[in-house]
Order: sequence, then C-alpha cells, then structure tokens
Amino acid sequence: MGPGPVRDIATFADALRSRGMTVTPDQMTDMTRSLGLVDPARRSQVHAALRSLAVTDPSQREIFDEEFDHFFSRSHRSRSTEPKGSSLLAASAVSQVKQRVGDEGTDDAVTHDGASAVENVSGRDIADLDDDQLAEARRLVSAMFWRPTDFRTRRWVLDDAGRRPDMRRTLHAGVGPEGDLMRLEMRRRRTRQRPLIIIADISGSMERYADLFLFFAHAAQHRLEHVEVFTFSTRLTRITDDLAKRDARTALASAGRTVTDWSGGTMIGEAFAAWNRMWSRRMARGRPVAMILSDGWDCGDPELLAVETARLARSVGSLIWLNPLAGRTDYTPATRGMRTVLPHVDHLLPAASIDDLRDLVRLLDTMAR
Amino acid sequence: MIPSTVEELGAALEGHDYFASEDLTVAIHLALHLGRPLFLEGEAGVGKTEVAKVLARLNGGELIRLQCYEGLDIGQALYEWDYARQMLEIRLIEARGEGSKVDARDIMSREFLIARPLLQAIERSSPSQRAVLLVDELDRADEEFEAFLLEILSDFQVSIPEIGTVKAEAPPIVVLTSNRTREIHDALKRRCIYHWIDYPDPDLEAAIVRRKVPGIEEELAGTLATAMARLRDMDLFKPPGVAETLDWAESLRLLSHGGLTSGLVDQTLGVVLKYKDDIDVVRGLGVEQLVR
Repeated sequence: MGPGPVRDIATFADALRSRGMTVTPDQMTDMTRSLGLVDPARRSQVHAALRSLAVTDPSQREIFDEEFDHFFSRSHRSRSTEPKGSSLLAASAVSQVKQRVGDEGTDDAVTHDGASAVENVSGRDIADLDDDQLAEARRLVSAMFWRPTDFRTRRWVLDDAGRRPDMRRTLHAGVGPEGDLMRLEMRRRRTRQRPLIIIADISGSMERYADLFLFFAHAAQHRLEHVEVFTFSTRLTRITDDLAKRDARTALASAGRTVTDWSGGTMIGEAFAAWNRMWSRRMARGRPVAMILSDGWDCGDPELLAVETARLARSVGSLIWLNPLAGRTDYTPATRGMRTVLPHVDHLLPAASIDDLRDLVRLLDTMAR
Repeated sequence: MIPSTVEELGAALEGHDYFASEDLTVAIHLALHLGRPLFLEGEAGVGKTEVAKVLARLNGGELIRLQCYEGLDIGQALYEWDYARQMLEIRLIEARGEGSKVDARDIMSREFLIARPLLQAIERSSPSQRAVLLVDELDRADEEFEAFLLEILSDFQVSIPEIGTVKAEAPPIVVLTSNRTREIHDALKRRCIYHWIDYPDPDLEAAIVRRKVPGIEEELAGTLATAMARLRDMDLFKPPGVAETLDWAESLRLLSHGGLTSGLVDQTLGVVLKYKDDIDVVRGLGVEQLVR
C-alpha cells in the first residue's frame, strides 16, 4: 500500500463498484482499519482482509479477486470500465432473434425443430404487437384473478377468531383493579401466498411462445408476492432481477441481455438438474407452485430428464406444465420428453398465443386451489 | 485471551483442534478486533458452527447458541415473560387480600422475565469475558427476524417496555452461519465480516482427520481425504462435508483392519452420502474409483 491507504481504498472501492458490487462508506472505513490489523507485507492477508469486508456473496469472489490482482499488482492507473452498449443497441436479444428470423423470410409457417410446423398461430408474438395490442395483452393479464394458494407460516398474528391464546397480551390486558377478570387475547398462524416459480424453455422450437410467456411472467412477478423466473435452452439462467424492472419492454430487453442461449438446443433434464442443485433448496419454503413452459422437445439425456423432473416435482408443492401444443384438440403427448415428464406433472395446460393466454388465465382462475 | 496477530490466532485455533485456512483466520482476526459479527457461509458440514465453539473455548467465555427456524420470534430469541409465575404471583397477592392493589409492575419485573439467547448474550458479556453468541443457520429464520437481528447487532441493547433498556457491557463475539438455503439480506451481511468456507484440500482434511479421530492410521487418513476430494468432484446432489469425513473415519476405525478396500467403501457409503440417487451415481461409476 502506498502512503494514502484511505485514498487507495476509495479508488479500489470505485473499481469494485464499476464491476457492479456495492461498497458502502462503512465498509470502506472497515477496510481501511483492517489494513492496520494484518501484516501489510503479506499480500494474502491483505487480500483475505479486504475480501472478507467487501464481498457479501460467493458470486462476487471472482470479481473481487480480479480487481484485487489488478489493483495491487500494477500501478493504480485508472482503468476504463467495461464497454457499455450504447442505448441504441439496448434492444433485447429477443428482438434481435426475431429480426434474424424475419430476415429469413419466414412467417407463421416457419419450421424449426419440427415442433411447431403445422401449428396455426392464432395469437402473435409479443414482439410483433403494436401498442394497442400490447395494452390489450396487459389488460388481459392484469385481469387475472388467479394466484397461488396460501400456506401457513410459523408466525402468529392477533385474531379474535384465532384458536390459541396470546399469553403476553392476555396478561398485559388482564391485570388491573379487577385483576381476576381476564379476557383471553387470541392469535392464529399467519398465512402467506405460496411462491410461484416459472421456468421457461426458450429453445428454437419454443421461441415464438417464449416472449409472450415472459411477458406473462413479468406481469405475474409484479402482481404476486413472490415470483422467481428462469429460462433455459442449453443452460439455466435466472432472470428474476431483470424482470423486476417495472416497464415490461425494458424488463424483457434486460432479460434478453442476461440470457445467452436464446434459441439454442433443448436440454430439459440438464436445466432441471441445474435448478435442483442451485435453487431447489433455496426456494423450497412455502410449497411453491412451479410453472414450466416447454413443448417437451428434448435433445438431452432422457434418463436424466426422468430423474430430475421427479426430483423437481418432489421439491415443489405443485407442478404446472404449459405446452403450446397442448391446446390442439388432437393433442397427445407424443414427444419422448413429454411422455417422460407427464407422470410428475399435476396440470398440463396450453400456452401458445394471446388466445391461449386468455384460456390459461381462465383455467388457472377456475383451477382447484 | 484474544491473540493479537493473525499468526498467533492461527496457532491458537490449531491448539484447540481447529484447522483454519489463512483466509478464515484473517476473517476471524478482523471480526475479533473490529468488533464486527462474523458471517460464515458454506456447504453443510464444513465447520461453520465449530468456529463459534472453538472461539468460546479460546476466549474462555460462554457459548450462547441461538438455533434459527422459521417463525423464530422475539419470545424465543430475546425474552419472554414467565406467564406461569406471573399467574401464580397474582394468586399469591390475591391470597394476601391485596388483589385490589395489584399493579402491573408487581408482575413485570426482571424476575418474571425469561432471558432467551440474545438477551443472555447481552447480559452475560463483560469486558473481561466477552460471551460468544452463535446464531446458527440464519437462513432458516425468516426476513422479519433478520431485520430484528440487524437492529440488535448494531448496538447490543434491548428496550423492554416494562423494565427499561438493557445494554451489553461489552459487545459479545458474534458468529452467524448460513447454509444458503435462501439469500440473507445484504444489509445484514454488510455489517459483518463475510467468509465463505470451502471444503478443505486433501492435506488439510487428512490433518483434521488425524487430529479429530485419534488412533486412525496415518495412511488411512490420507486415503480418506483423497476419496472425499474425488467424491466432491463427482456430480452429486449433496457432496459430503468434513462432518461426514469424520463420521466415515470413525466408522472405518471400527471396521477396518488395514487399508480402505472397495468392499469396505461400498458397505459404509451410507455414512457419507445421504441421498439414494447419489449412492447410485457413485456405485454406477464404481466405488473402486475412490480408493485407487
């Protein structure tokens, strides 16, 4: 460290911030103090000290290590931050994909992966909707009454109709001049909404339905208490934070930049395996409702798909599978993937277009809770 | 006595049978000297809880443990009135014929209060002997409790409306652990020294086994540590932690007469792996892979 540790820490903190980390003034103070508590000649100690104060999540460790190496190995010349795409290029990967498909001169009858060749698309991609239609779609989704059922938490709330006495309140209220007359204050368990977990297939065969569905996911996330959204084709990506942006177009554009495997192949089993390992235990609380959007066209390992779907079904409260093809009157689950997962699915529903979405909402509204 | 340098702390931890990496030692050192809580995350069984226990031994102070669970509330974490005693007291006052004079203060004093772990830590921590407060598996508690804990950890004082403010003479040494079944709020983590405990490397793990399982053969400890590293490299739903290694070592010490054989591994796999799918994976790949 040079003669100005305070300034050095400030510069270093700025470098971390430029990589998306948050470093508060309190943390900076502690970081500066920590330098006096370790052996400054021992790089590893300085590294461990600053890291234990700046990093609050394992995912930040790599960023921290890079910045630390950069900062403390070389001179502190200011470094240009990563190029940020100009706002003109902020259009989402979704629309870029659309553009590409459009360039190929394809239309409703486009064939990809054989999944949707003959599907008569009565609704249209969200990307193609004009503002009026978008407003219509938004109105439709916001008219949705369905929400996941409640689960009982371990917390208590006061409720005269409750079934358990609240001794603390009772004794507070009961002691007075007529101390022998006590009114029992009652309480009951508080309930909360079950979380909704959405996992959307965005592989080639699904690309026409995916953004409409992600729009639905966006609306759900802003209407319901606890929603988590993931996408997959060859790898699983969490886009909950992107969809947290209030404006639907901005949110979907942001998700489009986060997701790197748009219109790739489909590895459903691998995606579920990743979800089961990374997220299932972190979302198991409150018997969540899982909503999967996929046509079941799978080029991964079928055995893995069976094992991981079974595990996913066990770790959530109920499993709803939305298949764009399921709306057709002659639909039978013909794909191997669909046949594999079906035994674990509680509800199989269609979701291809605005029309289907309308049906879906109606179905969800009437679905037994 | 709290050691004053990182090296001394490392030696002291080892003296109490805890082998910490340098990173972890630095984190503990900072927590002790900056007076900040130590927030430990890591897979189950890597020795998070053990850190608090060894700090209590090191410090000679009391270890006060708060095990978190969903719905944990003030009554369980901080204090609760002793209702049975309060009722009894009211009866006694009435029996003395003083029922008309009874006042809330008669039954709302410190003697009717049951101190739960957080209040215990505040009351029992003194400058000469700081208590060690372990808040274990914080991820199991809910967000409401986290917010409450943040408040307590910032000034170590509690206002009890009926009694007044209780403040710690010296802040307790606080260790928070989480298995990361859910994300803990950033605001809380920022107040803490954060450290992610990784699985130990085979050499360190062998040293832990030799220290914790006396009587185990040198070579067996090494073989075990290598086998554990291989297990963790396999694509398992729940890779085993150090706690499992120690259980395994104990089991093998009971069963083994000589080295680790495939047959022995197969018989004792359930000590290390707790999911049927994982056992199937390892058997599928061949248990002999572990002892090669």
